[in-house]
Amino acid sequence: MGNPTARTGAPWRVGLLFSKTGITSVIEQTQLQASILAIEEINAAGGINGRELRAIHYDPGSSTAGFAQHAKRLMIDDGVTTIFGCYTSSSRKAVLPVVERLNGLLWYPTLYEGFEYSPNIIYTGAAPNQNSVALSQYLLKTYGNRFFLIGSDYIYPRESNRVIGELVRMAGGAVVGERYVGLRAQRRDFLPLMRECGQLRPSVIFSTVVGEATTHLYQAYADAGFDPRIMPIASLTTTEAEIGAMGPDVGCGHITAAPYFEAVDSDVNRAFVGRYKKRFGSDQTTNMCVEAAYFQVHIFARALAMTNSIETDCLRPMVLGSAFEAPQGQITINPMCGHTDLWTRLGRANGDGKFDIFWQSRVPVGADPYLVGYGAQVA
Amino acid sequence: MIREQPGRESGGRGRQEAALAALDIVVMTPRSAEGEMLIRELQRTRASVRHCWPAPETYPVEADVIVSELVPGLAHRLPWVPGQAKAALVVVLPAGAPALDQLHNIAADALLPRPLAPGVVPAIVLHAHIRFAYEQRLRARIDKLDETLRGMRTIERAKAILVETRSIGQDDAYNFIRRQAMDRRVTINAVAAAIIDSHELLG
Repeated sequence: MGNPTARTGAPWRVGLLFSKTGITSVIEQTQLQASILAIEEINAAGGINGRELRAIHYDPGSSTAGFAQHAKRLMIDDGVTTIFGCYTSSSRKAVLPVVERLNGLLWYPTLYEGFEYSPNIIYTGAAPNQNSVALSQYLLKTYGNRFFLIGSDYIYPRESNRVIGELVRMAGGAVVGERYVGLRAQRRDFLPLMRECGQLRPSVIFSTVVGEATTHLYQAYADAGFDPRIMPIASLTTTEAEIGAMGPDVGCGHITAAPYFEAVDSDVNRAFVGRYKKRFGSDQTTNMCVEAAYFQVHIFARALAMTNSIETDCLRPMVLGSAFEAPQGQITINPMCGHTDLWTRLGRANGDGKFDIFWQSRVPVGADPYLVGYGAQVA
Repeated sequence: MIREQPGRESGGRGRQEAALAALDIVVMTPRSAEGEMLIRELQRTRASVRHCWPAPETYPVEADVIVSELVPGLAHRLPWVPGQAKAALVVVLPAGAPALDQLHNIAADALLPRPLAPGVVPAIVLHAHIRFAYEQRLRARIDKLDETLRGMRTIERAKAILVETRSIGQDDAYNFIRRQAMDRRVTINAVAAAIIDSHELLG
């Protein structure tokens, strides 16, 4: 595709693929809002090289086929080359062939299981070495080495648990249970798992449950009368958004690893949180997915200002290696793998539905999606 | 035993002619004189040729090659999203300069320009089929590589367990896993995973 609008001052058009309906819409809507906030900020500052940034949004309805079809629609009917979107790994894998074949660029603002590298995707969420490693080390040290894994039944939880299992075993620990529930799981689906935890008494319940089922897991845990101080739920996917959905009293005391929490103590973050709440309501909280969805649009805009071409072949080289002062701190798009060098933080949910950060990496952690730097030796 | 090789010089029906004859081809073109020529040339290759016109809103999935006019909305008539094509696609261009954006989005495997030169249609259809098949193989290879890359960590760990518990070398450990996989007709990954599981079970 040429760039016929380069001289005309016509808007730069980009696509947004986040669900407003369906099972993962709670978190995806926050990613949509964050993208809109960034776009509005860019336009308020005069656009990119004097041209407005205009987004075309479709609601894929949390369905994999919806993501594939709307990616096709964006690229073919709307002539868009840059797409911001996707939460689940299944949706990313549905969009991947489309952007690869038509040479688009997908910006993916969500943590995922690693072991992927597409020249047509920029990954701005955490890879396993940026959350799982630190979290498992802390849990092993603090609570013990018997892990009970619970996940939603799709790619990310299964692959993520493979990595977690490996890390736990390397440290001489054991996975005493590994269970998967449907994406539409209800509270009753978690009852047998809570009974099992009651009998096995693992050191930690490790959750990669996503979407609305998250609430049911934590509620079932609370109903079972377990104590987060002794046997917490540790998660890679429970953010401020899920805690808000389940209620702070239910989530209180449980642990999440993420590059970003709303509680990050910096001027950049406080200003970001302020703008987000002002725009979408004071009851709204930011979270790791919001933050990645936000900063990736700004990184895109900076690269585009320099290339003045939205073609993937021009834009991508400019994006690789670029750094940005994000709300979580200084981050860099890793030029080797198109993932992002991010901060690792551990947070414990408090009574206000926020996370208290009790540990963070001293410097950003380089993305290592294939876990090359983490040996597979026996501990 | 001496077998007659279907050689390049022999002039007989060679391997590529046989490949053409095995194809299932759907043709979406009007029955103009040129359209008739296109269909006839393909039929002469002994391929299975189905003709369909006017072009349907959704193209059939079951075909090796789709030969289609550059009809409006062609990208949406194809029963797949780009990158997940189920058949090779040959687009018959109208006379004159085609819209480049539309061509890009359709992601055709070959183009047939008008006016059609006599005799070239089978070659171009075969070319598209070969390119498409090659792309399929590359995609399969990438899938396999992804899987292997994940599996390597499992195998490394299983090897480490064997080296430690059986006091054997790295190579022997790998050969042990490989032999078990062959004997049991399962993948090396599966054996490696079983070794790790049982090691954990036994402590």
